[in-house]
Amino acid sequence: MRRLAWLAALVVALIALVIGTTDRSNPSAAERVDHIAATVRCPACRGESARDSNAPAAANVRAEIARRVRAGQSDDQIRDALVAAYGDSILLTPPRSGWGGLVWVLPVMALVCGLAGVAFAFRRWRVEAA
Amino acid sequence: MNALLGTAGVALGLAACVLGALTLLAASLRHQSRQLRLAEGYALLALAGALLAFLAMEHALVTHDFSLKYVAQNHARATPLLYTIASLWGALEGSILLWSLVLAGYTVAVTRRFRARLTDPLLGWAMLTMFVVGGFFFALMLGPANPFRVLAHPPADGAGPNPLLQNHPLMAIHPPMLYLGYVGFTVPFAFCVAALVTGRVGEGWLESTRRWTLVSWGFLTVGIVLGSWWSYEVLGWGGFWAWDPVENASFLPWLTGTAFIHSVMVQERRGMLRVWNLSLLLATFSLTLFGTFLTRSGVLDSVHSFTESPIGTWLLSAFGVTVAVALGLIAWRGDRLRSPGRIDSPVSREGAFMANNVLFAAFAFVVLLGTVFPLIHEALTNEQITVGRPYFDRMTMPIGIALLFMMAVAPVLPWRKASHGVLRERLLWPAWAGVAALVLAVAVGARGLAPLVAFGLGGLAAGSAVRQVVLAGRAARRSGASVLNAVVGRTNGGMIVHLGVVVVAVAFTAAQSFSAHREVRLAPQQTARVGGHSVTYLGAETIRGAQKTTIKASVRIDGGRVYAPALQQFPNATNAIGTPSVRWGLRSDVYLTLAVAPQRAGGAAVIGVVVEPLASWLWIGGGLMAVGTALALVPGRRRRPTAPVSSPSTPDADLVDA
Repeated sequence: MRRLAWLAALVVALIALVIGTTDRSNPSAAERVDHIAATVRCPACRGESARDSNAPAAANVRAEIARRVRAGQSDDQIRDALVAAYGDSILLTPPRSGWGGLVWVLPVMALVCGLAGVAFAFRRWRVEAA
Repeated sequence: MNALLGTAGVALGLAACVLGALTLLAASLRHQSRQLRLAEGYALLALAGALLAFLAMEHALVTHDFSLKYVAQNHARATPLLYTIASLWGALEGSILLWSLVLAGYTVAVTRRFRARLTDPLLGWAMLTMFVVGGFFFALMLGPANPFRVLAHPPADGAGPNPLLQNHPLMAIHPPMLYLGYVGFTVPFAFCVAALVTGRVGEGWLESTRRWTLVSWGFLTVGIVLGSWWSYEVLGWGGFWAWDPVENASFLPWLTGTAFIHSVMVQERRGMLRVWNLSLLLATFSLTLFGTFLTRSGVLDSVHSFTESPIGTWLLSAFGVTVAVALGLIAWRGDRLRSPGRIDSPVSREGAFMANNVLFAAFAFVVLLGTVFPLIHEALTNEQITVGRPYFDRMTMPIGIALLFMMAVAPVLPWRKASHGVLRERLLWPAWAGVAALVLAVAVGARGLAPLVAFGLGGLAAGSAVRQVVLAGRAARRSGASVLNAVVGRTNGGMIVHLGVVVVAVAFTAAQSFSAHREVRLAPQQTARVGGHSVTYLGAETIRGAQKTTIKASVRIDGGRVYAPALQQFPNATNAIGTPSVRWGLRSDVYLTLAVAPQRAGGAAVIGVVVEPLASWLWIGGGLMAVGTALALVPGRRRRPTAPVSSPSTPDADLVDA
């Protein structure tokens, strides 16, 4: 009976997840501009994105992105063009290559080390107990 | 006069801390335990000094004493009283003053609470540590952060506070709450140092500081939530958490503190993880120093700017000394810190706490790395890069989801060892709660894997928290006690906190993933539709006052009430400050800003509209966390050894202890 209840819960959850993730409607142009602007820094601010900032410089970047979206460029093409114009620091995400890649790799390594440490501790405890 | 009184207060505080520390050091080294009682007097003197300095500064602010540089820079005659009082913590020097006052208050509170034990060497060393930390902050105020610097030629009027800081009453409570949390962690830190010095590294000091840690954690939580509420109400970008260095600086000690609150239970129960717990406390305390250094030294603008401000060097040195001393002590006591116990199975309460700790540590590491990485990168390559919100969102999302999962499973796990049967039985109803949450989210139109998983796990975690509370309520009723016992005590209060966290997590996910942002240019009486709401611009008016000039737009939402987003021009600022206007709703907020004021009377204005689902639940969840923390402080029902609930045959025995 309990097994059945669990099975039912899993099936319902799976169906809901499938329905909730297969909706592949293409984003509208405005949504794409929003999405790209959120990953780009407002040139006049420190950490605020071009989407969130009210500064005129941010409005310029948004207009530039909108122009390129209308011209049919891809997200990456647009970001590359912005980097060419403003430099690497325009992107709110650090580059994946070079020293900048460390910021992506280090946390993963730290987490793996942490989990490995805990796993090792449990192994030792088991050996001691035996 | 104010300067004289203030400086006298700071000097008195410093003298009391230095003398207190020296007296306690001498007494501890010579084992003259009666001398340790003197801590009480020195603590009172330090508090008197801090209070005198604090009142002198408030008096100077209220009476417009512009001969003080701090007053001239942060106050103006036209500033309203509330913001005048709050100006004390609006800038660096004043916030150090508030910090010292809070610390002196905690120091006195510790001497009161442990009055009967003051002659205990452990207390002696703890008080000594508190005096040293207090002395450092008083010294800061005589050195690089002197709030009582005098101007030779006082101006007739001051510059006034930063416009952003005189825009919302939350500014008056958010910083004091945050500091009550930050500074409160000094108490467990001091006991941790004392435990290491005296070699009494058992569980006694943990027991003594348990409530202090919880209180500090509660204040820090409230401070962080109020801070993000303030940023939502004032900054006008429609968000509440930007992963800004200032926010990260307050979040880091919260993360390590949260890890500590959980892992400490493993030590209390099994005597294990001693070094780890000491390290977490050390990390929490030193991260408060490091965070203050990051946000107050100007180092974040560029690596090269920090040498310009002496306060940076002071804070960084204090951080370095703290870490070095604490690590040295831990290494010195290494032999005593070994614990004989072992954990039987990873699938157990203690196993879950360990996983929780790895996750929180990883979370803190990501936040710390992301915050300081631009500096490291600039130092290595001389090139500037930005680590912003998309990085933090992407890296913390999987950790957050894993934490939600742990939060669902851990409360139903028994200590020592769990069988799969136990898990299957205890998690069944919570699982259905999770499925219900997931189905509901899909039904109302939520799409995307990460948010849906978060909603589902949120339901699961809420289910297992509610299950615990229900069981505790039943147990209380069976033994004839008040049903209120179901929500008091550490375990049950903690479940209320968990519910608060779930509410915050769900609201955060919904608002981050499903908000709609638009800027619409509207002529008077024109209407636009954003995210299912209609927004009608009615017109704008300009109000000129002594303190500021305000341009107020009138905007009708959904044909109902009229809201008034505004732009405010302060005389001491070049850019106008936006004041958003928010229509609250339990389902979604409609957040309006005046992005561009009309250029001429009757002209068109640009209105920023953000529709943010569930945003108000962030503050409700924060309130629930605060209530839960308070309930956790109430002494829970002691388990009688003969009570039927504690008999080993009852599978839930371990869930009802307080």
